[in-house]
Amino acid sequence: MTGGMTMLTTMRRAYLGALILLVVGFNLGMNLPVAAADSEPSPDPQSSQGSLKQLSLAQLGDVEVTTASKAPQQVWKTAAAIYVITQEDIRRSGATTIPEVLRLAPGVEVARIDANKWSIGIRGFGSRLSRSVLVLIDGRSVYSTLLTGTYWEVQDTVLEDIDRIEVIRGPGGTVWGPNAVDGVINIITKNSKDTQGTLFSAGSGNFESGFASVRYGGSNSNGLSYRVYAKGFERGAEHHFDDEKYDRWRSAQGGFRIDWVKNDRDSFTLQGDGYDEGAGETVGLTNYTAPYSQVVTGTEYLSGGNVLGRWTRTFREGDDIQVQAYYDRTNRYEPNFGDLRNTFDVDYLQRFHWGTRNHISWGLGARASQGHELEVTPGLYFSPSTRTDQLDTAFIQDNISIIPNRLTLELGTKLLHTNYTGLQLEPSGRILWTPTETETFWGAVTRAVRTPSDAERDFYLSGYIGTLPNGTPYFARFNANPNFQSEQLDGYELGFRHLFGSRLYVDLAGFFNEYYNLFSEDITGSPFIENTPPPTHYLLPAEFGNGLQGSTTGGEIAPEWKPASFWTLKGSYSYLHMVLRRGPGSQDIGTAPIVEGSSPQHQVVAQSQFDLPKHFTLDLTYRYVSALRSQNIAAYSTGDARVGWKLTHHFEVSVVGRNLLQPYHVEYASDPAPNVAIKRSVFGQLVWRSKEN
Amino acid sequence: MCFAVLTSFASSATAQQSKPEEYQVKAVYLYNFGRFIDWPAIANKDDSFTICVLGRDPFGAVLDATLAGETIGDKKLAARRLGSTLEASNCRILFISASEASRMKQILAAVEKSGVLTVSDLPDFTISGGMIQFVLRDNKVRFEVNLAAAERAGLTFSSQLLKVATDVMR
Repeated sequence: MTGGMTMLTTMRRAYLGALILLVVGFNLGMNLPVAAADSEPSPDPQSSQGSLKQLSLAQLGDVEVTTASKAPQQVWKTAAAIYVITQEDIRRSGATTIPEVLRLAPGVEVARIDANKWSIGIRGFGSRLSRSVLVLIDGRSVYSTLLTGTYWEVQDTVLEDIDRIEVIRGPGGTVWGPNAVDGVINIITKNSKDTQGTLFSAGSGNFESGFASVRYGGSNSNGLSYRVYAKGFERGAEHHFDDEKYDRWRSAQGGFRIDWVKNDRDSFTLQGDGYDEGAGETVGLTNYTAPYSQVVTGTEYLSGGNVLGRWTRTFREGDDIQVQAYYDRTNRYEPNFGDLRNTFDVDYLQRFHWGTRNHISWGLGARASQGHELEVTPGLYFSPSTRTDQLDTAFIQDNISIIPNRLTLELGTKLLHTNYTGLQLEPSGRILWTPTETETFWGAVTRAVRTPSDAERDFYLSGYIGTLPNGTPYFARFNANPNFQSEQLDGYELGFRHLFGSRLYVDLAGFFNEYYNLFSEDITGSPFIENTPPPTHYLLPAEFGNGLQGSTTGGEIAPEWKPASFWTLKGSYSYLHMVLRRGPGSQDIGTAPIVEGSSPQHQVVAQSQFDLPKHFTLDLTYRYVSALRSQNIAAYSTGDARVGWKLTHHFEVSVVGRNLLQPYHVEYASDPAPNVAIKRSVFGQLVWRSKEN
Repeated sequence: MCFAVLTSFASSATAQQSKPEEYQVKAVYLYNFGRFIDWPAIANKDDSFTICVLGRDPFGAVLDATLAGETIGDKKLAARRLGSTLEASNCRILFISASEASRMKQILAAVEKSGVLTVSDLPDFTISGGMIQFVLRDNKVRFEVNLAAAERAGLTFSSQLLKVATDVMR
C-alpha cells in the first residue's frame, strides 16, 4: 500500500514538474508577446468603411458591432456594491459549479461542506441554505420558502452559456426581489442568439469523476433563435477522515431557451430546465427509544424543472415594460424529510422618464409557492403538512438627476406582503456622485426584511440532548412559532471607484449593518416529563424565535490591474466584523457566539490571468479564508491553476488543478457527521465549438 | 470615453474580424445624417461640410476615412476636433463625446441657435434637447430622434431617416 502511494506521489510530482517546465520554458522563450487579441492586423479603415457606406440605413441598423461591453457600465453608475463575474472569469477560473465561481466575488463567503453542499453568505451569515441572500437565475428566484434559503446543489446550468453573474453585496434596494437582505446573486445566461452552433464540453479528473455538456443553438432569419442543452456529471467523495465516503453526487439536466425579437419594440423569451440528481449526505435521526440519536448516511433524491416566459416592450431608451411569469417545481426527498413544491410567479416591471430629471421604475409581483411536506422520521414534521405561501411585492423607485451626469439621487421603497406577515415597507435612499470621468462616490441607506418561512412557523423538531443519570433520555423539542416575525436589517453603505489611467481600477465599499429580530433558538419553559410515545422522557420546550440582534461592520477593496495587454491581475480583500447578542428578554440558548464565529473575518482572492503565445493561457488563483472560531476550523490558504490551449479556433483543451496548496483542508463544519475535508484535485477538459464564440 | 477605457480589461476576447466596431458604424451614420437632413439656407462661408467632434474623440482615423473623398451636394466632407463650443457654429454636425457628460446641457444651450445637428451617445441626450442619440440594441447601433429640437434649429429630416429611428420625439 505504501509502495503504491509513493509511486503515485512521485508520478504526481513528475507531472507537476513537467507542467512548471512547460510554463517556464514559454516564459523564457517569449519576447514581450502580443496578445492573441492584438495580433490580427487591423484592416484598411477606408475599405471597411467603404463597404459600410454602401449599406442602406435599415441595413446599417442591422449590423452587429463589437462594443465596449455593458458590464463595467453597470458597475460604474450603480449606487451599490456590485461586482460582475464575466464569462471570461468563469472560463479561466476552472470552476465547474456555480458556488465555486462565486468565490471570485468580494464579500462573498463560500465554504464547501462536502462534495455536494456549500455554505454561502454575503457579508456574514453564511450557511448551507444562504438564508439572507436572494439568488436569481434569469429573473427566476431559486429561493425556497420552505426554509428560506437556496439549495445550491440543484442550481446548475451550462457554465459556458452564462453571460455574467452580478453579485450585489448589501441589501438589494428596491429593484431586486423579496428577501434580498445581505445580498443578491443574479445569474444571467446568454441570449440564445449568442449561443449558436454546437458546443461540446467534457472532462474528468480525480474528484470530478466525469462531466459532459452538449448544447446546440440555431436561428432563423426572422429574429428567432433557440438553444437546447443536456449535461451530466458524477463527482466523487471528498476527503473523509473516517473513510465514510457518503457525499457522492450525480446529476442529469437538460433545458432550452427560445428568444424572438419581433421588431424594434417587442421581444420574447421562453426558457426551461429539468433535472434529476442524487446527492449523498448524512442526517441525524432522533428516536424516543434507544438509540436516541443516530447518524445515517443516505441519498437526497432531487428532481424538478421550471419554465419561464418574458415579454419586453421598449418604447425608447430607458422607457420599457417587462412582463415575466414562471413555474418552478422541486422534489426533494431526504432521508429525514421530503418537500414537494410548486411555485408560480408573475412580475410586471415598468420604467419611464418623467420630465428631464426623473427616471421612474415601478413594479408588481405575485408569487404562490405550494409545498407538501412528507414526514419521513418521527420528530421532524411540519404542521400543516401542506401550505401555500404567498408573497406579494410592489416597488417604486425614482432616479433623480440633480446635476445631469454628475449627481443622482435614488429614492424608493418596496412593499412586501406575505401570508405570514402584514404589509412591510422596505425604503431605500441612494446617492451617486461622479465628480470627474475617473471617479465615483456613492452612499446608501436601506431597510430590508427576511420574511418568515415554513420552518419557523410550522416546523416541529426534536433533538436529543443526553441521558440523565437515572437512564431517562432528555430531548429538546422545538415547536412551531406562529408568532415568528421578519428579521430586519438597516444598512448604511459607502463606496468609491477610481480609474487610474487606463490600466488600474479600484473599487472600494464599506458597510455598517444593524440587525433586529434575528433568528434565535429560545427555551420556552422548564423541562417536563412526557410519557407518550414510551418510554418516559424529559422534554425541554423550545422554539425558533426572534431573540438575537447585533451589527456587522466591514468593507471590501477590489483592484484590477492590467500591467500589460496580455496580463491581468485582479482580486479582493474582504473584512467582516460581527457582533451579536441576545435581545432584551430573549431566552436564546446561546447561539450568538456560534453565528459570529461561523463567518471568516478576512478573505483574500488574487487572480492572475496570462495570455501566452501560441494560444496558451495560464490562470492562477490564490485564496485565503481566515478561521471559523466557533467551528474550530483553522484559517486556510489555497490556490487553483488552469492551463488552457486553443489548438484551433474551435477546440480548446485545459488542465485545471484546484485546492493545490495542501492535500486537503476543511472549510466548514459538517453536521451531523464529522467534518469533511476538501481535497486537492486535478481534471482535464476539452471544449469543442462549431462556431467560434 | 471612460466606459471604453474601463472595459479595455473587462474581457480579453479574441478579435472578432467579421464584426465592425461600434464607432465604425457610428461614423457611417454621421455621414448618412448629412445626406438625409436638409440644413436651412444660410450663407455658408466654407466650401466644406464639416462634421465636428467635441471632447475626447472616440472615432480616431475612422471618421476621416469615412469622409475622405465624399461630397454632399457640392461640398466636400471634412472632420474637425473641437475643444470648446466657440467654433461650433461652423459645423453642420456636432458629435458631443461622452467625456463632456457633465457639460451636456451647457453645450446644447450654446449651440441652440446655430443651426447645428447635435448628435451624441450620452444617456438622456434627446430628453435634454439633443437631436439624435445613438443607442445600442442587441449589439446593433440604432438612434433616437428629438424632432422638435431639430425643427427649432431649422433642420428638416427626410422621412427615410425617421422611419429607421427607434423613437421620434415630436
